[in-house]
Amino acid sequence: MTATRAGAGIEAALDEALGMLDETARRSVELDENEQFPADLCSRLDAFGLPARYVPTEWGGTSSDHEELIRLWRTAARRDISAVTAHAKTYLGAAPVWIAGNPEQARVIADAVLSGAPVAWALSEPGHGADLLSGSVTATAEPDGYRVDGVKWPINNATRSSHVTLLARTGQEGSGRGQSLFLVDKSALQPGTWRSLPKVRTHGIRGIDISGIEFDGALLPADALVGPEGSGLETVLLALQLTRTMCTALSLGAGEHALRLAARFTAARVIQNRPLAERPFPASVLARSAALLTAAEATSLVAGRSIHSLTAEMSVTSAVAKALAPTLVDATLGELAELLGARSFLSDVYEHGAFQKVWRDHQVVAVFDGSTPVNRAALVQQFPRLVRGFATGTADAGGLAEAVSVGSPVRPVDRGALTMLSRQGCSVVQALPALVESIGSRPTPTGLVDQAVALGAMAEYLHGRMAEVAPAARPAMAAYELAAAYELCYAGAACLHVWAAGEREHAAEPLWQDGLWVRAALRALLARLAVFLRVPVPAAGPGDDRLDGALARLVVDAATTGAPITPFGAPAPRTLQQGEDSRER
Amino acid sequence: MSAEKLDALFGDLRDADNPVGHAAILAADERHEMLAEGERLLDAYGMNAEFVPAAYGGRLVRADRLAEVQRAVWRHDPCLGLGYGFSSLLGSVNIWSAGTHEQRTKAAEILLGGGRIAVVFHELDHGNDFAHAECAAVPSDDGWRLTGRKETVANLRRAEAMVLFARTSEVAGSRSHSQFFLTRAELPADRVLDLPRFPTSGLNGVQLGGLRFTDCPVPGTAMLGRPGQGIENALRAFQLSRAVLPASVLGSLDTALRLALECVHERRLYGGFAADLPYVRAVLARVFADLLAIDAFCGVGLRALHLAPEATLYAPAVKYLTSRILMEAFEDLRAVMGAQGYLREGSYAMFQKLLRDAAPAAFSHISLSACLVLILPQLPRLARKSWLADQAAARQLFDLDADLPPLDFDRLAVGMPSGDGLIGVLAETAERESAGSPVGRFAVRFRDEVLALRDQCAALAPSDLTIGASPEAYAVAGRYTVLLAAAAALAVWRGDDRQQEAALLGILDRLSGRLGGAPVLTPDERASAEQALFDIAVERFQDRRLLDLSARRVSG
Repeated sequence: MTATRAGAGIEAALDEALGMLDETARRSVELDENEQFPADLCSRLDAFGLPARYVPTEWGGTSSDHEELIRLWRTAARRDISAVTAHAKTYLGAAPVWIAGNPEQARVIADAVLSGAPVAWALSEPGHGADLLSGSVTATAEPDGYRVDGVKWPINNATRSSHVTLLARTGQEGSGRGQSLFLVDKSALQPGTWRSLPKVRTHGIRGIDISGIEFDGALLPADALVGPEGSGLETVLLALQLTRTMCTALSLGAGEHALRLAARFTAARVIQNRPLAERPFPASVLARSAALLTAAEATSLVAGRSIHSLTAEMSVTSAVAKALAPTLVDATLGELAELLGARSFLSDVYEHGAFQKVWRDHQVVAVFDGSTPVNRAALVQQFPRLVRGFATGTADAGGLAEAVSVGSPVRPVDRGALTMLSRQGCSVVQALPALVESIGSRPTPTGLVDQAVALGAMAEYLHGRMAEVAPAARPAMAAYELAAAYELCYAGAACLHVWAAGEREHAAEPLWQDGLWVRAALRALLARLAVFLRVPVPAAGPGDDRLDGALARLVVDAATTGAPITPFGAPAPRTLQQGEDSRER
Repeated sequence: MSAEKLDALFGDLRDADNPVGHAAILAADERHEMLAEGERLLDAYGMNAEFVPAAYGGRLVRADRLAEVQRAVWRHDPCLGLGYGFSSLLGSVNIWSAGTHEQRTKAAEILLGGGRIAVVFHELDHGNDFAHAECAAVPSDDGWRLTGRKETVANLRRAEAMVLFARTSEVAGSRSHSQFFLTRAELPADRVLDLPRFPTSGLNGVQLGGLRFTDCPVPGTAMLGRPGQGIENALRAFQLSRAVLPASVLGSLDTALRLALECVHERRLYGGFAADLPYVRAVLARVFADLLAIDAFCGVGLRALHLAPEATLYAPAVKYLTSRILMEAFEDLRAVMGAQGYLREGSYAMFQKLLRDAAPAAFSHISLSACLVLILPQLPRLARKSWLADQAAARQLFDLDADLPPLDFDRLAVGMPSGDGLIGVLAETAERESAGSPVGRFAVRFRDEVLALRDQCAALAPSDLTIGASPEAYAVAGRYTVLLAAAAALAVWRGDDRQQEAALLGILDRLSGRLGGAPVLTPDERASAEQALFDIAVERFQDRRLLDLSARRVSG
């Protein structure tokens, strides 16, 4: 939380509303163990007024700022990612209605959401989850509406929800225009024509309602159809541009949770008479984790703000953000688990066994709402425009400036501006060469210019490689690797943009001094980029050898005192455990 | 007795009625219990005899055969792998290497009678930092009196005996701890308290226990070796366990890859099967290459215990790199499995269990960074004296089917190795292979890396040879393990004409990718190697053959 931002204090208010950290920490692990729904946390999120933020202001809600919603989800997710996965689903389920629904449908869903009812989004089917074209649930036209048959599974909130937005086939199988979207009010369905399918047992998020719904001749009124017949897939793909972007908040929360747990452990753990945190190697792990989390944060916040100001680019932005954030955080959790050693999998020893839960829970983020490979494939399809846009340096300067001014007010979202394929490419990346140049011509922390130039060079090389990718319905693995590299480029560009935009305002904060966070983030991103591009890692710059120690100290301090742990982070409640084992001796 | 016989006892894993098949294994895992039927099966097989040297009535002669049988267990259920097998092995190795004839005889009796020997080393406050373990024994009139806690010890409550590691001197350093071989019956019940079980996420069925000793009398005859020899004993035993464990754990990756192959041939996506997607094929091909690389490196590491037992850094190198590769391979598979890899039910539920089990299997016993700390102090001298000077080790080290002299526990050394016959393979291969061939280009690449690494080792500061090493020094040790693995793969392939060259190229491509920099293969060469690897994997899967180097036929 930054002192100057509009609505400052809202994260702290949510933390307050969520209750004592030690109580929620213990309870969330217990519920997960018993596969019980995190009802308490969800009702605290309701009481805080979170559902109103899922509803646009024109329909009576308070949804006006996606950055703020990302911050709120992160604040709750860093306690229990399961609870937010359950609660946030309502935002996902409702999103297509704001895009394509008529006023009556919007009112119905707004009323439901504002009353605290969960909404589900029924896309996946058994056997071909990611393949939306091959849906086999059918909606057959009847004189008074549609008859629905088939199974949607596994679906978050399928059983608890009052309403379901349902993608079903009304036309030809496998055709882009063969599917339609329906708003299903479960209470209005004829009993016996549908049923909830049992809760699915999952590896993580064990307590939440992952289940299914089976339709057997269920009759929907004609006005259940959202948008014109045949437009369902398009509506879904546009809505996914919003939801995929927003899901990154879950990764930010999980990453912060894990980093705080691990940092507290390294401060308390003494190996060969010295705290682990003071050894160069563990410190480098903490620093890299913080750096990657920071890169995910910059990406997520810029992408979330782009919903408002670079709306027409969201086909690129959302694919990048949804592939990148969970990937970086999964990698970070893996490294932190090694640091924690046995405490990463012992489920009642360290801080209530929180780590093993967040580790399992977070693994679902890369799977749902479009998996990493699905998002990379979506990005590959847009390579030609991205290559053209990079070559010409096309950028929406005004929209970009707004997107990277983290913490400042955003313009209202124009949902009509969402497009299936971004025509102008991606301003964040396409403005990178100009940004690199401008950074080189002003006073800049030591080493940052070299890093910016290296990032610019990698971006240049990457686009050359992207230009060689032949369009294909089934892209080669090499194209996926370039997509992964593009994500990292975006993240690096986002870091540089938000640093340049926020540097003055944040000058007094320790993470910002000497460009600490941005240099650490760029160093970590360049190292990963080099792997995907199969090029040498740029040589260490002046002062690079001091980054780890400085950043690790701040991370440990933040984890211990509750200070923000990332440049755009919020203070966190303190735990009584403070890196100690919670198990009774 | 053999891995084949064990496989036959387990039967078809996919048969829902099989009491030791996937369904039963998963059900036990859900209950956080060991699979009782599986334990009975291993009893009937006489698994404990695998851990007892032939001289004491068991079947332990060769480390590689031991690992092969353990791998068959891990392929079915990692909980059985660790909870039934590995802990008794780890405990007993200390006795075979440091015990008296009487102690060895007693240990053999316990194991051959179906008993368990727990490894009571670990203290939660100290982890891998054995030298600071607190649980302490002080001399008494007729032995020792023990006070302190031991925690997260597999099978502790169910073990008839234990090898206990305790401080026996207040002096700091590596000679302040000793080991004791005790039966539970010898300890007065009022001086030993069983701590509540430590539940885990991953290896759910394995029962981790703890003990609290309060001025507990320990007979003087229980000591293993001499006072102060505890750390040395442990390091000696770890030479074996650190090579056997990763070779065993590989069985779980074999099963996971098999599940993924099945899944992508069943799931329909975008008008075809998932297996038709180039992305899916490439990921599975790469995981297959990783699996083969691990097997080759483990195979050489295990043979080195017989042929070059003084080469003490191979075991931690094998443990480090293969664990790292295994964890990453599971991550890659997870991306391909998608939601199917996240469900605790359905046809592929076994995957999420294997995923969960992989982490504790990979970094229990010793952390990966601790492995590198063991390697670092050896590097400068080896780099200076041995690399590119010493010849490659004799072919016998790399012929995985060739005979071996029996394992000699007394020769499992601790301390400085005199040479490095694996690195020698790289220079030799670079000279032999034609420079234009892909294998020749790889060999040159790896030899150049040895040269670069030699300079980096020469530049290591004294502090870089300790736990306080810089991240760059850790990276140097990590790169060294990659070169060892590359040497192992090159040499194993040279000695085994059943293995396809495409697979070798895939392995070397993955390994050289870990070193970073420009690729050796062209994109077309990589694509064709991966296509070939994928085809081999599918063929193996369809023929019900293992995916490891043995390609052994299995029942399911």
